[in-house]
Amino acid sequence: MASNGNFEDVEDRDGVRFSWNAWPSSRIEATRTVVPISALYTPLKEREDLPPVLYEPVTCKGTCKAILNPYCQIDVRGKMWICPFCLQRNPFPPHYKDISANNLPPELLPKYTTIEYTLSRPAQIPPIFLFVVDTCVDEDELKALRETLVVSLSHLPPNALVGLITFGTMAMVHDLSSADFPKSYVFRGSKDYQSKQIADMLGLNPASSSRPMQPMRPGQPMPAPAASRFLLPVQACEFQLTNILEGLQRDPWPVEQDKRPLRCTGVALGVATAILESAFPNTGARIMLFAGGPATEGPGMVVSPELREPIRSHHDIDRDSVKHFKKATRHYEALSKRASANGHAIDIYAGCLDQVGLLEMKSLTNATNGFMIISDSFITAIFKQSFLRTLVKDDQGYLKMGFNGTFEVLTTKELKISGVIGHVISANKKSPSVGETEIGIGQTSAWKICSLTPKTSLAVYFEVVTPAGQPMGQNQSGLIQFVTHYQHSSGQYRLRVTTIARTFQEGGHPSIAQSFDQEAAAVLMARIAVFKAEIDDSPDVLRWLDRMLIRLCQKFAEYRKEDPTSFQLGPNFSIYPQFMFHLRRSQFLQVFNNSPDETAFYRHILNDADVNNSLIMIQPTLESYGFDSDPHPVLLDSVSIRPDVILLLDTFFHILIFHGETIAQWRKANYQEQEGYENFKELLERPIEAAQELLEDRNPIPRYVVTDQGGSQARFLLSKLNPSTTHMSGSNYGGGGQQGQAIFTDDVSLQVFMEHLKRLAVGASTS
Amino acid sequence: QGGQFQQYGGGAPVDQMSNQFNQMNMAGGAGGYTGGAPGAGGFEQKQLHAINTINLIGMQPDVRGLEAPPPPYLIPQSASVTQSPYNQPDPSYQRCTLTTMPATQSLLNKSKLPLALVMAPYRSVREADGDMPVPVVEDNVIARCRRCRAYINPFVTFIEGGNRWKCCLCGLSNEVPQLFDWDQAEGKPADRWARKELNHSVVEFIAPTEYMVRPPQPPVYAFVIDVSQAAVQSGMVATAAQTILENLGNLPNADNRTKVAFIGVSTSLHFFSLPPGATEASMLVVSDLTDVFLPKPVDLLVNLTESRTAIESFLARLPEMFSDSFTVGNALGSALQAAHQLIGKIGGKIIALTASLPTLGEGALKARDDPKLLGTSKESSLLTSASSFYKSFAIECSKAQVAVDMFLFSATYTDVASLSCLPRYTAGQTYLYPGFNASRPEDAIKFGTEFGKVLSQPLGLEAVIRVRASRGIRMSAFHGNFFIRSTDLLALPVVPLDQSYVIELQLEDDLKGPVVVLQTAILHTTCYGERRIRVITQAMPVTDTVGELYGSADQVAIATYLANKAVEKSMNGSLDDARNVVTNALSSMLSVYKNQVTSSAGASAQLAIPDNLKLLPLLACGLVKHVGLREGASIPPDLRSYAQCLLTTLPSQSLISYIHPRFYSLHNMPPDAGTIGEHGVILPPTLNLTSERLERHGLFLIEDSQNIFLWVGHEAVPRLVQDVFDLPSYADLVGGKFTLPVLDNPFNQRVNAIVAKTRELRRGVYRPHLYVVKSDAEPALRSWALSLLIEDRMDGMGSYAQYLTTVKGKVNG
Ligand SMILES: [Zn+2]
Ligand SMILES: [Zn+2]
Repeated sequence: MASNGNFEDVEDRDGVRFSWNAWPSSRIEATRTVVPISALYTPLKEREDLPPVLYEPVTCKGTCKAILNPYCQIDVRGKMWICPFCLQRNPFPPHYKDISANNLPPELLPKYTTIEYTLSRPAQIPPIFLFVVDTCVDEDELKALRETLVVSLSHLPPNALVGLITFGTMAMVHDLSSADFPKSYVFRGSKDYQSKQIADMLGLNPASSSRPMQPMRPGQPMPAPAASRFLLPVQACEFQLTNILEGLQRDPWPVEQDKRPLRCTGVALGVATAILESAFPNTGARIMLFAGGPATEGPGMVVSPELREPIRSHHDIDRDSVKHFKKATRHYEALSKRASANGHAIDIYAGCLDQVGLLEMKSLTNATNGFMIISDSFITAIFKQSFLRTLVKDDQGYLKMGFNGTFEVLTTKELKISGVIGHVISANKKSPSVGETEIGIGQTSAWKICSLTPKTSLAVYFEVVTPAGQPMGQNQSGLIQFVTHYQHSSGQYRLRVTTIARTFQEGGHPSIAQSFDQEAAAVLMARIAVFKAEIDDSPDVLRWLDRMLIRLCQKFAEYRKEDPTSFQLGPNFSIYPQFMFHLRRSQFLQVFNNSPDETAFYRHILNDADVNNSLIMIQPTLESYGFDSDPHPVLLDSVSIRPDVILLLDTFFHILIFHGETIAQWRKANYQEQEGYENFKELLERPIEAAQELLEDRNPIPRYVVTDQGGSQARFLLSKLNPSTTHMSGSNYGGGGQQGQAIFTDDVSLQVFMEHLKRLAVGASTS
Repeated sequence: QGGQFQQYGGGAPVDQMSNQFNQMNMAGGAGGYTGGAPGAGGFEQKQLHAINTINLIGMQPDVRGLEAPPPPYLIPQSASVTQSPYNQPDPSYQRCTLTTMPATQSLLNKSKLPLALVMAPYRSVREADGDMPVPVVEDNVIARCRRCRAYINPFVTFIEGGNRWKCCLCGLSNEVPQLFDWDQAEGKPADRWARKELNHSVVEFIAPTEYMVRPPQPPVYAFVIDVSQAAVQSGMVATAAQTILENLGNLPNADNRTKVAFIGVSTSLHFFSLPPGATEASMLVVSDLTDVFLPKPVDLLVNLTESRTAIESFLARLPEMFSDSFTVGNALGSALQAAHQLIGKIGGKIIALTASLPTLGEGALKARDDPKLLGTSKESSLLTSASSFYKSFAIECSKAQVAVDMFLFSATYTDVASLSCLPRYTAGQTYLYPGFNASRPEDAIKFGTEFGKVLSQPLGLEAVIRVRASRGIRMSAFHGNFFIRSTDLLALPVVPLDQSYVIELQLEDDLKGPVVVLQTAILHTTCYGERRIRVITQAMPVTDTVGELYGSADQVAIATYLANKAVEKSMNGSLDDARNVVTNALSSMLSVYKNQVTSSAGASAQLAIPDNLKLLPLLACGLVKHVGLREGASIPPDLRSYAQCLLTTLPSQSLISYIHPRFYSLHNMPPDAGTIGEHGVILPPTLNLTSERLERHGLFLIEDSQNIFLWVGHEAVPRLVQDVFDLPSYADLVGGKFTLPVLDNPFNQRVNAIVAKTRELRRGVYRPHLYVVKSDAEPALRSWALSLLIEDRMDGMGSYAQYLTTVKGKVNG
C-alpha cells in the first residue's frame, strides 16, 4: 500500500493525501515520527463519476453533528445508526425505513466516502462580483483592461450581481441603475472613511436621512433596495455596464513629472468592502481588484507619490525602514477581516511592471482565498487568460467556483486537530476535536473559506492524544470527517462530506514507515515552513526544516551509528531529502532574489495548491529533448545542460524552453527551414507542444520563456538547477566527464547537502 | 436741447425734466460751450436755492411731487470747462442728500441734515426710455491727477496755455497727456473740447494693461441648485432648468469665453461632467460634506460654447434626474464651498437656488423663527445671521472675485437673514419667492422672467469702487452689497445692474473753495473682456448757511439714506430703534428748520418744511410702516429680512414706490389713461394712499414695485368684472395671484396696458405679481393690500396725520 499510485487513487476518490496513512497509536510515538499526521485536502475536487445527490444529509443528533457515512455502525432492524465520533445512537429518519443490508442509501456505500449533498434551502442572493478598477494606467493598458472586463461579463452567470468601482485620485462607485446618463458616487482618495459613513453616503443604510420620510402612498411602487443601484444582475445591466466600461477614461487628475499618479487603492477597497458588508453580509461575493500600480494616496498607501522614493524591497523591510509598510498592512488586514467575516472574497489582479503592494495587501487574498495574479501588464496573455480562467465553467455551465464556504473537521477521540494552513480564517468553533498543539490556524474545528475552486487545497494537521501504554484494539481505526458547506454558483447550498478511516499502529510498526507519502509530507512540511516564514523571515525556519529532516532520517533511515556510508533510506523516503533541499533554496524561503510582491504571490499560490502542483513549485520538473532519445525527465541539475539537447523546465510559475548551444546555433542558422532537416524542425517543435499541454489547465498562466544557452533569460533555469558543477567545485557529478555547465553560486549542491545530512543523521562529526 | 436731456434722463415726466433743464440753463447763462477755459477772474452772481416754506398740518400731501427732480446744483458757470449739458450726472446714477455742500462739519451737525451720496453707478441703459449709453473714451489716453489719482473731468481747469491741467479735487497742476489732442483713429489733431471726459459727468475709459493684475476674466456662472424633494416638488428645479436652457443664448458670451458649472445639492452634492463635444452629461455624487472636494479636475466648469450640446441635454434632463427624489435635507453651505472651489481661481458668479433650509454640512441652519420672539425686542436677532459661516464664506468669495446670488423658494422658513449675507458681502442679490409653486403659472412666469433677466444681464466683473472728493471731504460709512476691502475701497466681484449704494460723507476740514467735486470710479472688467473705468463726477457749490442747505436738500436721497440707516439699526439694535432713527431724524430736521430757518421760536400749531422736502414726512411715515420695519408680531422674519434686502439695494426710483406705493383708480380713470400717448402708455393720476379713495363699486390698482394689487369693490358691476376678468360677476371672482385675460374690449385693454406699463416702469429684474383683492373676502390678502395705504391708520399704527402730530410733538418738545 505504500506506493504512490495508491496515494493518488485515494486522492482521486477523496481529494485527500495524508503524510502518514497508518497512524502511531500514542502521543509519544506520533511525536517521534517527526512529520505530523496531516492531510492535504481538496474539498471541491472534481468528481465526475459522483454527481451530487439531491437530498439532505442525515446528521447525528448529538452535539457533534457528524454526517452519516460508510464507517458508521448501522442497525438495519432497529433502524438505528451509531455515530462513530460521539457514539450517539441515532434513529434513521422516517424515509429511510426501507433500508436493508442490500438496500443502502449511497452515503453508506464504501464508494461514497466522499459525497456531496444538495441542500434544499437555496441561497437568497446569487453570487456577487464587484469590479474595482484602477484608472491610473496608460491608455493602451486601460483599453486592454476594459476589453477584458467586457468579455468577462459574458462569463458570469446571467443572474449574478455585478458592480463597478473605479479609482485613481478618487474612488467612484458607479450607479448601474441610471439608464439615461452615467452617474457615480465619488469618495475622496485621501480620506479614511468609516464603513458606516460609506454606507450613509451611498444611501445604503435604511435609517439614513436619504430614505423616504413620508409614509408610502398606496399605489406607489416601493423604492428598490438602495444597493440595487450599484449591484445589478448581469442580464439587467450588461448594456449599461458595457457602456460605462467602454467609456472609462484614465484618471483625469494631472500627474507631475516627478510624481507617481495618485492612486487610492485603499479607499476603493474600503468602499467595496463597505458596500458588500452593509448590503450583502454573509453571502457569496467577490471583490475583484485590478491594480495597475501601487497605492500612493490615503489609507493603504504603499509608497509616496514622490518618484524619488523607490518602492520597498525585502532589504528595506528587513531593516524596518519602510515608512508606510506597517500602516498599509494594518489597513488591508482590517479590510480582510471584515470581508472574510462576511464571506466575501477579494481578488487581486496586478498588471504592472513594478510592484503594486501585494505584500501589504496579501491579507485580502490570503484571508478570503481570493485569486492573486501578477502580470507585467493588462495587455499580456498572462493577465487576460489567468483572469478569464478563474471564470471557467463546468459541463452544466456553472462557474467552477464555490462561495462563502465553511470547512469543518471532526475526529474520533484519539485524534485532535492542530490547525489548518491555507487561505482560511478561524470560525472559532471549540469542539471536542480541537487539540492543544497549534499548527497554522488552530484552536478551532471550523474555518471560513470565502472562495473555493476545484483546486483549492487545505493542509490540515492533527495530533494523537492517546497516552502511551493505553491499550488500543487490534487494527483500531481513527476517523476524520471533512465537512464543507458552500454556496454553489447555481444558487444552491452544497455540503461536501469526506470521511477517512486509517488504522492505528504500535510505534515502530513497519506499516507506519510504509504508509509515508513523501510527496504529501514534503508539501505539508513546506506549508508549515512558509507559515513560519510569513511570521518571521529568518534563518530559524531553515534550521527548523533541517532539524526536522535530520530527525526524520534518524528515525526512519537504516544506518550504523556514526557511519555515514551505511546510511540508506527506504523507497518511500528516498526523495524526501531532495524535496527539502529544493524547498530550502526555493523562492518560498529565499526571498531576497525576489521582490516582496513576488514573494507574497508565490506563497499565496503555494498555499492553495494540491500536492502535484506544490511539488512542481518546490522542485521544478526538467525534461530533455534530444535526437538520441525520447523526451525524458532529467535531473534538476546543472549536469543536464548539454549543447545538443533542448530542456523544458516547469517551475509552475515559469515554463522555459532552453536550447543547448549547438541547437541554438543551428536554429539561428535556420536549419529547420531546410530540406533534409525535418527531424531538427520536429525537435524544435516538440518541447513547444509539450509546453502548450502544460499551459492548458494551469492557473495562473505561467510566464513562458524561450531562451538559449548563454542567453540572458537562461538565469531562470540556472537558478533552479542543483549546482553540482559550480565555479567552486573541482569535481563533476553524475559521471560523463565534461558535461554540464558550471553555475556561479555559493549555494551548496545537493551532494554536499546529502553528505551533511548523512553525517548528522548517523551522529558522525560533520567536518 | 430739451430733447437731448430727455434722452439722457430716466423715466421722469417730461414737463418736470424740462423745468429743471430750463432752470439750469438760466443759471449757466447763454454762454454755451464754445471751448476754452472761462476767464480766471470772471465774477458770477452766486445762485441760491429759493426757500419756500410749506405747512404740513392739515394738508393732504401732493404725491405727484415724488417724481420731481432733486434741487439743482447751482455751481458757477466758470466751474465747468465745457459748459456741457451733461456735466452733472443724472440722479439715477448718483445724487447727494444735499445739492449744496456745507462749508464745515459744525454747520452740517447744526443743520441735522444727513450728508450722503446715493448711487447706482452700474445703472442699466434702457433705450426704450431714451437712455443714452455711457460715452466711452476709447483711445486709452487717461489723464489722472498725480497726487489724488482723480480722473480728468468737466470741472478741471487748463493752465499754462492748455499744456497743464489743474486738478479740481486737490489743486495739483498736472501735465496734459501727449496724445490728449490727437485723434488716433484718423491720425490727426483733435478738438480737445470734444473729448468725452470733458463733456460728460458719466464716462467710461478703456483701461490699458496697467489696470489689470491678470488678463480679463471671462464671465463664469456656477449654478447651485437644490434638488431635494421640496425643490423638485415645488417645480423650482424644472423651472430653473427650463429658464437656464432658454437663456443659454442670452448669457453674455460675445467672445465665446463664458464658462458654466452646475451643482445639484440635497443631502449630497451632485456634480455634472460636461465634456466639450459630449452629447450627454454624467453625474458625480459626493456625499462627503465635511471636507468638500471636487470629484474631477476637468469638465465640471466648462466653456459654454464648447460644451453646449452636453449642457443642453443635461438641462433638458435635469428635472427628471431627481424626479423620484425622496431626499430631505440640504447641504447648501457645502455646495457653495464646492462651487467656490470650482470657480474661485477665475472668479464669477455663483447662482444658488434653494427651496429648503440648509440643514446639513457647512453653514447648517435651524428653523429659529420662534413666533414668540416676533414683536419683541429680540425680533432683531432673527434679522441677523444665525451662523458666522455665511459672512466668513462671503468674504472668502469676495477675495476670489466670486459673487453670490440667492434665489430662495421655501414654502416654510428659509432664514433669509442668514442666507442674504452671501449676496450682501459679495455684491450679489437676494430673490425670494415665498410659497413658490411652479404649477401656478404666475409663480413660474415671475421666477422665470426675473431669473432670465439676471442671466442675460451684462456683468461688470472684479470691480472696485472708490469715491474721491475735494480736500476736506471724507467717506465715513458705506451701505449696500459689497465688501469694504480697505478703508474706502468697495470690492464687488460682480457688479449687478441697478443696485444702489449709499456712502456717508464727513467734513474733516473746512471747505475753502466755492465748489467741491465728488468723483466715483468703478474699475471693472466687462463681460466682453475689457478692463474699464466708469467715472461719475459731480460738482457742488459750498455754502455756509443752514438755510441754503435746507433749500438744496433732496428728499428722495434723504429717504434712501434713512432706509439704509434704519435697516442697519434694526440689526444692531431693535426695530423700535430703527423706526426711531427715521422719526427722530425727521423731527430734528424740522426742528432746526423751524428754529433756524423760519426763525419761529416756541411751540407752534404748524409744522414748517421747505417745499423741496415736503414729501419727506410722508416717505418717513411710509418707512416706519414698511413691512421691513413696521411694528407688529405678525410679519414672518423671512419677509422682513427680504424687505430689508430690498430697502438697502433698490435704486431710489424703485425704492420710493416700495416705500410709498402708487395708487390708481381705474374704473373712472381719464379717457386717455391706458392708451398709448407720446411717451408710451399713459398712466392714471396717482392718488393719495388712503382708503378714503376706495369706492365700493370701483376697481383700483396699488403697486409697490414688487407687487400689484387690483382692488375690486364688492359692489363692482358685473359689466366691469366681465370686461376686466372675463367672469360673470364679482361673486365668481377669486382673490389671489392672477393673470389678466386679454379681452376684446377697450377697458380690458387699457387695464392690461396699465399693468404691463407698471411692470416695466422701473429698472431692475423684478416682475411684480398681480393679485386680485376682493374688498370683502380673503382677509389676509385684503389687509396686505390695505397695509400699503400708509396715510391710513392700521393695526395700532397711526395715520399719516397722526404721524405728523407725533413729529410735531417732538419738534415743539
Ligand atoms: Zn455524533
Ligand atoms: Zn488731484
